[in-house]
Amino acid sequence: MGKAIVITSGKGGVGKTTSTANIGTALALMGKRVCLMDLDIGLRNLDVVLGLENRIIYDIVDVANGRAKLPQALVKDKRFEDRLYLLPAAQTTDKTALNEDQVRDIVEELMPDFDYVLIDCPAGIEQGFLNAIAGADAAIIISTPEISAVRDADRVVGILEQHPLEEEPRLIINRIRPHMMQEGDVMDVDELTHHLGIELLGIVFDDDAVIATSNHGEPIVLNENNPVSKGYRNIARRLEGASVPLMKIEEQKPGFWSRMKLWFKRD
Amino acid sequence: MQAVLLKGNQDGYQLILNQSASFTEIIAELKRLFDKLAAEPSSLEAARLSFDVLTEDRILKSGEKKQIEDLAATYPKFSIHKISSNVMTVTDAYQLKERENVHLISRTIRNGQEVKLNGDILFLGTIHEGGKLITTGNIFSMGNIAGILHAGYPNSEEKLILGNIHNAQQVRVGEQFDVIDDEKIDDNDQVVAYVNDLHILAYGKLKELKQINPKLYNRIGGQ
Ligand SMILES: Nc1ncnc2c1ncn2[C@@H]1O[C@H](COP(=O)(O)OP(=O)(O)OP(=O)(O)O)[C@@H](O)[C@H]1O
Ligand SMILES: [Mg+2]
Repeated sequence: MGKAIVITSGKGGVGKTTSTANIGTALALMGKRVCLMDLDIGLRNLDVVLGLENRIIYDIVDVANGRAKLPQALVKDKRFEDRLYLLPAAQTTDKTALNEDQVRDIVEELMPDFDYVLIDCPAGIEQGFLNAIAGADAAIIISTPEISAVRDADRVVGILEQHPLEEEPRLIINRIRPHMMQEGDVMDVDELTHHLGIELLGIVFDDDAVIATSNHGEPIVLNENNPVSKGYRNIARRLEGASVPLMKIEEQKPGFWSRMKLWFKRD
Repeated sequence: MQAVLLKGNQDGYQLILNQSASFTEIIAELKRLFDKLAAEPSSLEAARLSFDVLTEDRILKSGEKKQIEDLAATYPKFSIHKISSNVMTVTDAYQLKERENVHLISRTIRNGQEVKLNGDILFLGTIHEGGKLITTGNIFSMGNIAGILHAGYPNSEEKLILGNIHNAQQVRVGEQFDVIDDEKIDDNDQVVAYVNDLHILAYGKLKELKQINPKLYNRIGGQ
């Protein structure tokens, strides 16, 4: 029996879809069977980030309304044999296209076949959010170090406290720019974690390669040496119960030799 | 069985409504009694007669109270001073208890959350930006306030807020509110926010409480 984890943030554009795709891929790389569920109805993206856009036949609303059976709608990611699947969102603009009971039923049907069901939540706290948390056992809150994202994360944690899931929510801080954090231009990891008062699951650096790779439909975790990839791999290992130390913010600074080179260049 | 009993004592006249009589019986009996009293020569001498009504272990609805008051009002010299009962509803009792209690709160109130209570609050928790703590009474805070505090909700201007509020977004007492700018208020946990005689929110120190709110000062044992 698997575990269903919703990935949510309140604020839009902070990296829910990126995180869903990369954590899911990292777990599949570790040999887990993973289903990624896109609940961003009307604005589906997860398929694009995974490079599965062209293979969609049915979507989650088709399944909910009985127009397709669940296995028919699942899109297999061939890179991982039989371990990574996507249940795509619909493109409809109808906000009532899906309700909480339908989502709960679908998650329940997926659970026996997968180790993880990762649910990509839409931005906001309306029906789409309620649908996304309906079937989940646990939640991952994504925030960037930006105050507006932190406020929305706080709002979502508050709502989850009032409708508790089986497990306490955990935090991912995404798009960290070490330089800004060290200069004190944004809240640092400790401050932010302490402020939100939830457990830190991991940190992810900001890197242009994320955008480049997702444009190719290739999650960045497939690129082993990238720091973002390391961040997501660590997160996947922590989900599996391993205790992995947090990546050092300073590690991202140019090394001693490259700084030496910079000094010489300056002259 | 008499539905209504008239008693006189040094404070005036009391009408005791028998709790086992029906309300219709009571009204009929009251009317008879009032008629008789009004016709009595001794009552002609008095300027006015005001009655205290005691309902024993019965709770009258507001419509029933009004019926009694209206009846008395049809006699030029009679009026009802007050209607009281030996008992109260569970809701009223609960509200009374809430009002009289000091609530101890140590939770975190997050962005978008609103905690609303009756009575005084001793707050030991944290209020995040966008969180609200609202009460009819006073707020005594030893917590971390980065959100909004509202004492004396909705309109009691004699209530106050005590604690470190220099990081709060807003402070409200009754209908008055202030947007707190960083520099406006001392970073001190003995600040008192209250509404002054000009109906403006003002800030003082705990040691000035005696002047700011003598009633509260006495209640908490100051001298
Ligand atoms: N760590 C990162 N470094 C650089 N860019 C990133 C990072 N994480 C996300 N992005 C970029 O930020 C943008 C928004 O990311 P994403 O679509 O994952 O956010 P979202 O929370 O799912 O948004 P929405 O609320 O619209 O669903 C994308 O262009 C993505 O490539
Ligand atoms: Mg998204």
